[in-house]
Amino acid sequence: MVNLTIDGKAVTAEEGTYILEAARANNIEIPTLCYHPALEPFGACRLCTVEITSRGRKRLVTSCNYPVEEGLEVRTDSEEVIKGRRIIVELLLARCSNVPLLQEMAKEYGIEKPRFKLEEDDCILCGLCARICEERMGVSAINFVGRGLERKIDTPFEVQSEVCMACGACAFVCPTGAIKLEDITTKEPRPIPSEFNVGLNSRSAIYVPFPQAVPKVPVIDREVCIHFLTGNCRTCENFCQAKAINYDQEDEIIEADVGAIILASGFDLYDPSGLEEYGYGKIKNVITAMQYERMISASGPTDGHLKRPSDGETPKKLGFIQCVGSRDTRHKLYCSSVCCMHATKEAILANEHYPDLKSFIFYTDLRAVGKRFQEYIARAEQEYDVTYIRSRPSKITENEETGNPIIWYEETTSRNRTSMEVDMVVLCQALIPAGDHAELSKILNLKLDDYQFIDIPDRLFHPVDTEVPGIFACGFCQAPQDIPDSVVQASAAAARAAEFLSKEED
Amino acid sequence: MKGTASKSMTTADIGKIDRIIDKYAEEEGSLIQLLLDVQQELNWIPKEAAERISERLNIPQSQVYRVASFYKAMSLTPRGKHMISVCMGTACHVRGAPRLLDKVTDILKVQPGETSSDMQFTLNTVNCLGCCALGPVMVVNDKYYSKPSTKEIQEVFEACD
Amino acid sequence: MPRLNSAADLQKLRQEILARSNGNRVVSVTNGTDGRTRGSQGVIQAFTEEIEKQGLKGKVDVKSTGCHGFCEKEPIALILPEGICYVGVEAEDVPEIVSQTLVNGKTVERLLYEDPSTGQKITKESEIPFYKHQSQIVLGNNRRIDMESINDYIALGGYGALAKALSGMTPEQVVGEVKKANLRGRGGGGFPAGTKWETTRDAPDDVKYVIVNADEGDPGAYMDRSLLEGNPHSVLEGLIIGAYAIGAHQGFIYVRAEYPLAVENLYVALEQARDYGLLGTNILNSGFDFDVKVHRGAGAFVSGESSALMTAIEGKVGEPRPKYIRTAVKGVWDRPSNLNNVETWATVPLIIGKGADWFKGIGTEGSKGTKIFSLVGKVNNTGLVEVPMGTTLREVIFDIGGGIPDGKKFKAVQTGGPSGGVIPEKFLDLPIDFDELSKVGSMMGSGGMIVMDEDTCMVDTARYFLNFLADESCGKCVPCREGIRQMLDILTRITEGKGEKADIELLEDVAMMVKNFALCALGTSAPNPVLSTLQYFRDEYLAHIEEKRCPAYVCKPLVSYYIDPAKCQACMLCLRNCPVEAISGGKNQIHVIDQEKCTKCNTCFEVCPPRFNAVRRLSGEPVPPPVKDRTLVRGKS
Repeated sequence: MVNLTIDGKAVTAEEGTYILEAARANNIEIPTLCYHPALEPFGACRLCTVEITSRGRKRLVTSCNYPVEEGLEVRTDSEEVIKGRRIIVELLLARCSNVPLLQEMAKEYGIEKPRFKLEEDDCILCGLCARICEERMGVSAINFVGRGLERKIDTPFEVQSEVCMACGACAFVCPTGAIKLEDITTKEPRPIPSEFNVGLNSRSAIYVPFPQAVPKVPVIDREVCIHFLTGNCRTCENFCQAKAINYDQEDEIIEADVGAIILASGFDLYDPSGLEEYGYGKIKNVITAMQYERMISASGPTDGHLKRPSDGETPKKLGFIQCVGSRDTRHKLYCSSVCCMHATKEAILANEHYPDLKSFIFYTDLRAVGKRFQEYIARAEQEYDVTYIRSRPSKITENEETGNPIIWYEETTSRNRTSMEVDMVVLCQALIPAGDHAELSKILNLKLDDYQFIDIPDRLFHPVDTEVPGIFACGFCQAPQDIPDSVVQASAAAARAAEFLSKEED
Repeated sequence: MKGTASKSMTTADIGKIDRIIDKYAEEEGSLIQLLLDVQQELNWIPKEAAERISERLNIPQSQVYRVASFYKAMSLTPRGKHMISVCMGTACHVRGAPRLLDKVTDILKVQPGETSSDMQFTLNTVNCLGCCALGPVMVVNDKYYSKPSTKEIQEVFEACD
Repeated sequence: MPRLNSAADLQKLRQEILARSNGNRVVSVTNGTDGRTRGSQGVIQAFTEEIEKQGLKGKVDVKSTGCHGFCEKEPIALILPEGICYVGVEAEDVPEIVSQTLVNGKTVERLLYEDPSTGQKITKESEIPFYKHQSQIVLGNNRRIDMESINDYIALGGYGALAKALSGMTPEQVVGEVKKANLRGRGGGGFPAGTKWETTRDAPDDVKYVIVNADEGDPGAYMDRSLLEGNPHSVLEGLIIGAYAIGAHQGFIYVRAEYPLAVENLYVALEQARDYGLLGTNILNSGFDFDVKVHRGAGAFVSGESSALMTAIEGKVGEPRPKYIRTAVKGVWDRPSNLNNVETWATVPLIIGKGADWFKGIGTEGSKGTKIFSLVGKVNNTGLVEVPMGTTLREVIFDIGGGIPDGKKFKAVQTGGPSGGVIPEKFLDLPIDFDELSKVGSMMGSGGMIVMDEDTCMVDTARYFLNFLADESCGKCVPCREGIRQMLDILTRITEGKGEKADIELLEDVAMMVKNFALCALGTSAPNPVLSTLQYFRDEYLAHIEEKRCPAYVCKPLVSYYIDPAKCQACMLCLRNCPVEAISGGKNQIHVIDQEKCTKCNTCFEVCPPRFNAVRRLSGEPVPPPVKDRTLVRGKS
């Protein structure tokens, strides 16, 4: 371990560490532009320059690539350092006067307008793009070209690259937004759709599935991770301060001897693409209820703003279609039980967010069977501008000019066949038992009922017991139900299991 | 960055490239020397040559291109039959090299760094040839001319076939 | 050629060579790049033919040699052993030289050097003032060695130092001797070579490299070219000694692309050395193996920086690396690598051969030995000058250089290339060495010395250097790429008459930042020409900015040409020579320059007969309108 001082603060670091790394580990900030923890230090921007006193000599060095020394005195804020940094920022801003990052940095240094001619380049030649492509991706599709004032980043011979994998790493690390993937390759980047946000945005290959995940630890998706595909990258490893990333981890098969099993595998969403008449996947502004939930959530991909997919505009007229895939002889025969209520909640939330927004819920039967559920429906109609129309729409088409979906339906009460143009349609899709339910039931020797739920032989007196003693099932895996009901069943299953186990010990 | 470049090397040319690569085959770090030989042989470095080198040396194309675009002695566009260089070193500068350059560009009707449209002449400036006692100096192919007069310059160019 | 297997073999060979040419006279003709430009190849051919024709074959050796130093006067034919020096020789002169001098022992007066101040003809080379004050211990052998002959080198004692080192000294002793001599790098850095050798030697690795930096890029400097063309073996011998001392078995010579003759002569020299067994395995039976590869540069000044050069040897783009890990410890392919300049290597055999004490007897306290300078620009005797460290600038420029031509006044001498600064007249008595010139804002650098007179504009000079550096910058770091570019922009504006008051402060601000923050020495020394011209010639900058005036009449946008009607004699010379026909007038009509058409080419100024002296250059003042009556009245003087 090496002892040194940075800005008067005593700091220790391992031998071979650079001053910048030691500073950052101790929360001392040094500005950088061309530095990246996963890449070899480049020393091009010179912004990280600091003043060091070593063996009685004072000099200026770049902290990103100067190794720590015993007894080194470092100053990150000496007058000369600050003065020089200011001019560097001034020069870069003159070159790239429209780049927001540089404009912000200039403000920090008190630069109002550079004293040089303003130009509108967007590349600061930090080299992060070329370096990550070479060092991490092992491809080197783009590189520096030319020398001096002619220096720039380009593909060989300035033609479309044949080796670029369209991984997007270059565009990702570029601090100014100068890299456009379409300039490098004709290949389309394939975003990884976020499962939790139902494809509304994308995620990276290493990701935390959702904020409430248990355990809340990132996982690597081996199917799309560049390291697992090509053997390169491993950039994430350089960022993890706990050194917790282990690419060699394999799934562990754990064998345990247990006395009872509780099945609580929950539900999945049924894909409404099969209902071609509704145009899901074809008409941009037809989304599913789960996508709507993510959109209206303050922690979701749109920060809680309703932005319809085609143009990002806020809809003023919403249409909710119930029983999409449920109570349908072609798809699922059963009622998913929660959709009438969640559609009402969603319509109420919409109106709370946007007071001039109207919602139309196209229902088959309104299943408002819980305590005070019917009152909720009435409030929706009276206070939140929700209109219930009894009908099962036959098809949804698109107004090609505006992107508005048009719902074609027969009002069963009046027998009127008509259409309604709305701004966005929410399909309340059917819910199905989660996972490979059939496989699981075979392993556990359980029967599935006609609707593919776990069969509960005696629903009346033993609502959570399966036909196998000691195996209990609660929640959606055994019947469509909402959260309160699922929670009750969960407690019941826990109690039953405890009872079962205590009996066994006798 | 746009389209694809056109083909510009014959099979005979590719043979030449291969022989040059063979000469350096096992040497590490021979890329610059190799490219200089290609430049000498073909009078420029075509895209196909760079691709061949990249393939056989197992170096990414972007790195071959980077090296070729960095050095003045290498040209990525076809050069004229005759190379004219005017020295712009300090000693020559002090002795009037800029005026010599003006004369040359006037007579050739070509700017430094460019090639004449009939592909006869390429004009370049050089930062010091080391013949400072003779300045200002102009080099035509491998011949050096010290303090050439306008008439001398004209004669030399006319003599180039 | 028989392989030499010991120091004794070398000695024996030397005796044989001396015996073969014993008593022969030598005609040493300068045939380096300079000479060839002026027809020296033809001169040599003429000598060879004429010598045969006049029955002197076998009695006179014609040697094609490198530069003797007095490049201004090449081709030079030096007759040895007498030392008769004929300058500016053409092929047509040769028959006369052969019959007059070689056969009849008389001198050909018209071909002798004439001292411009006395008008006297000087016969002996050693008496020519240019040579008289020099001490050519390194360069001197050029005149005695045919550039393609290893035997000539051996005849003078060449490779004797290598034999001495290999047979009688341990590597540590060799390092010790070089350290004792305090040999400092002659490429510009001035770092003690012995210390660098020691660091490389001590670095823990069994693969090490030695490198010759022959990428001489400073414009105006060509010392290394002359050594490589004229005496490549001196460099080679030094390199092999160094390799032995350091423990390296592979050497590289990095030569710039612009020196084709040097490359050629190096290849010849290497082959010859290999044939004699002076390169390869078990050199002179010492058990030491060593060989050399030549690596050609490709037109990049920045690649001469030592870390960039090593990167180029690796086949990558020659960009400098940050210097926090010394290349002596981690250099080419991360192996310990010792890089030295050509002249440094060429000095090593002298130190080992004659001893460190002998070497220390030359020069100053901190700078031992001699240094070769290229004295060029506005000076009478242009050429290579080798003097002991500590010689003053005045001695070099005036005693050896012969002062400023055309009776012009000395203004400044620029030293150290683009990394150096200008030194004004008041410092002419400064001794030249590694440390003195830095005290006044310049540096000795690799040896380039460019003399400037009253017709040189210092602002234009600063702009010239920045332009050079902007062209050669690798562009990697922001201070150099953007800083130099903006400084160049400011200077260009100033030379175009668009300078503003705030420009000087802005220039100084940017210059200080570049000096402190740039990645490599190209960048950190780039502001030197600007800062030093600002320091000593600030008035010129102010004239350009405030008065829109160029005191030296160089910056075209600030200069106007005007024919003084009181002096014009209507001789029509300027009129006929003007390339853009901007002058109107006639036989008895006073000539007038059309200011709109004038391109400021300076032709009229040059051709107007000195006795009329009618063409005036104006700067910072308006051009007087043409006189109404342009009829010439004769009788004026």
